[in-house]
Amino acid sequence: MVERTKIEELSKENILAFGEIYQGKLHHASLEILTPLKEIAEKLNKKLILLCLAESVEKIQNLEEIKQCIADEVWFILNKELDTFKDDLFAEVVVEVIKSTKPYGLFFPATFAGTSIAPRIAGSLSLGLCAHVNALEVEEDKIVMSRPTYGENIIAKLSSRTLPIMATLSAGVFPIKSSEKAPVFKEVMLPENFSWRSRLKVRKFNPSEKQPTRLTTAKVVIAGGRGLKNKENFQKLFELAELLKGEVGATRPACYEGWIEEERMIGVSGVSVHPKVYIGFGISGALQHTVGMESSEFIIAINTDKEAPLVKMAHLALIGDAPKILDLLIKRLKSLSK
Amino acid sequence: MEKIIVCIKGVPKPGTVKVDPETHTLKRESMELILNPNDRSALEMAIRLKERHGGEVTVLTMGPPNMISLLKYAYALGADNMILLSDRAFAGADTLATSYVLAKAIEKISPFSLVLMGLKSIDGETAQVPPETASILDLPSLTNVKELFKEGNKWIAVRENEYGEEEIEIEGPFVCSVSPSAFDYLRPPSLKRLIESKKKEPEIWTASELQVNPERLGLKGSPTQVIDVYEKKLEIKGTILEGEPQELVEKLLEILQEKEIIKLG
Repeated sequence: MVERTKIEELSKENILAFGEIYQGKLHHASLEILTPLKEIAEKLNKKLILLCLAESVEKIQNLEEIKQCIADEVWFILNKELDTFKDDLFAEVVVEVIKSTKPYGLFFPATFAGTSIAPRIAGSLSLGLCAHVNALEVEEDKIVMSRPTYGENIIAKLSSRTLPIMATLSAGVFPIKSSEKAPVFKEVMLPENFSWRSRLKVRKFNPSEKQPTRLTTAKVVIAGGRGLKNKENFQKLFELAELLKGEVGATRPACYEGWIEEERMIGVSGVSVHPKVYIGFGISGALQHTVGMESSEFIIAINTDKEAPLVKMAHLALIGDAPKILDLLIKRLKSLSK
Repeated sequence: MEKIIVCIKGVPKPGTVKVDPETHTLKRESMELILNPNDRSALEMAIRLKERHGGEVTVLTMGPPNMISLLKYAYALGADNMILLSDRAFAGADTLATSYVLAKAIEKISPFSLVLMGLKSIDGETAQVPPETASILDLPSLTNVKELFKEGNKWIAVRENEYGEEEIEIEGPFVCSVSPSAFDYLRPPSLKRLIESKKKEPEIWTASELQVNPERLGLKGSPTQVIDVYEKKLEIKGTILEGEPQELVEKLLEILQEKEIIKLG
C-alpha cells in the first residue's frame, strides 16, 4: 500500500538516503548506506527515510528488496518525467524535498547518479558536501564523517556547518541489512506549480556490453601496484588470475599510470573486495587502497619494503622483487598444472 | 563560433606528497605541481571542438601565482586565453567555495557556449566541482562525457555510466565533466605555441574584480571542515619472510594449497 501525502504534511528533520533507481532498478549501494545511517538515526532519535524518484512504483523491478529495507519510511516521488535520469530535474526534486521537510541529514551512495546530483543540490542551496565517506559517528549530538586522505595512513574526520549534513558514502563498504517490519511507503505529492522541465533529453540508452568485473565477489583477488614497474608486468597478473581463478585489481597509481582501466581500482574511489585470499604485488598499502581490501580473509603482500603498511597488515608478507616473484610463481603454477 | 571555457587544476605530482608526521599537514615544499591529468581530456575536447566549429578556448584556474605555468602549458596545447583567479581570500576553499568563485568568473566571461572540466582531480577526487559550479550558475550539467557534437544547433553528449551509454540532447550553455578515457590520443604541446607562451601572460582576477560575496570565499565560505586528522596505527600481524625468490614462491604455493586455492599433486 502506498499512501499519498502532500509534501508539506511529511515529517521533518529526518535522515534522508537517496535511493538511486536507474532503468527501473534500485542500486544496491542505496540499500548499503542505510546500514550506517540507521545507527546514526537511532542515536539522534530521528527517522530514516529512503527517497526514491521513479516513473511509477509498479515499474521498479526489485521492489521486494525495498520492502525489506531497514528505513522507517520510503518516500516515492513519481512522475513520467523521471523515467530517465536527468541531472538537473532529479536535483531540483530533491531540493524541493529539502526545502519542505528540512532534513537533518541527506546522504547519497557514491554511485554515478548520486555523485552527479549531490553537488548540484549542494550548489543550489549553498550546503557543505563531503565525498567518499566510509564511516559515520555521532559525537556530541553531531554527525562526524571520516574518510581516508592524503598519504599512507591518514584519516580525516569531517563535519559540516550547514544543515542538512550532506555526504556521498562509498559503495561496497557497508553490508545490506533487512528488516522484518516493512517500511511505510508514501507517495509524495509535490506542489502543483513544481516545474518538471529538464534541459536534458535522454534520446538513446545502450546498456553496457562489457561484463562488469567480478571483483567484489571474487574468492581470489590478485592486485598490483606501482611496484610492478610497468604495464607489461602488470598484464601478467591476468595470467596468474586465470591460473588461480581470481580477478585482477589495482591501486590508484597503477590506474593513473594507464596500466589498467579504472574499473579495477580497489579503494576509496574504487570498489571494495572481500576475497578468501588477496595477493598484493608491489603495493605499499596506502589507506586509499587498503580500505577497499582490509576485510579480506587472508592477505598476502609481496614487496621490497619491509616497512610498507600492507606488509604490516598482511598475514603473510614476502620481502622481494614483485615482478620477479610474479614470473616465478606463474612458471611454477604452469609446470604444476601440466 | 563557439566560446569554450575549460577549468583546470594544479595537483601535486603523485609520489611527491609528503605528510608531516607530527602535524599531519601536507608538506607543500616537497610537492611538485602538475596539471591534473584528467583535465587533459577536457582540454583536448575543447580544442577539437574549436577546430571543427571555430571560436576560442579560455582556460581558467584558481590558485596562487605558481599556477601560471599550468595555464601556459594549456596555451601550448591550444588554448587561446588564460585567466588566473588568485586572491588570498580564496585560500582554503572546499568544493562549494571553489565552485562559487569559478561560477563568478564564468559569469564575468559570459556569453559562452559551454564549460568543460576534468571528471575529477587526482588529489581531492571528489568530482563535485563541475556539477556544483553548474548549479550555482543555474546551468544543466552532465558528468563523465566521452563525446560531444552538434546536430544543427543542438548539442548532443554521449556519456558513460555504470549501466551503459546515454545519448543526451542538452540545451546550452551547459557544463560537462569529461571522461578521462574519452580520447585515445591527446595532443602534445606545440613547440611554436610553447615558445609563444613565454611571452604571453594570463589575466589575473582577484576577488575585487569579481562580483563576489566575501562571506562565501575560501575557508570562511567553506561549510565542510576537517576537525581532526589521525594516523591509523598498524601493528605487524602476520609472518614476514625474506629470502631467495624461489624459496618465497614455494612458501606461497604452500599457503595457496592450505587455503584450497590450488591443488598440488
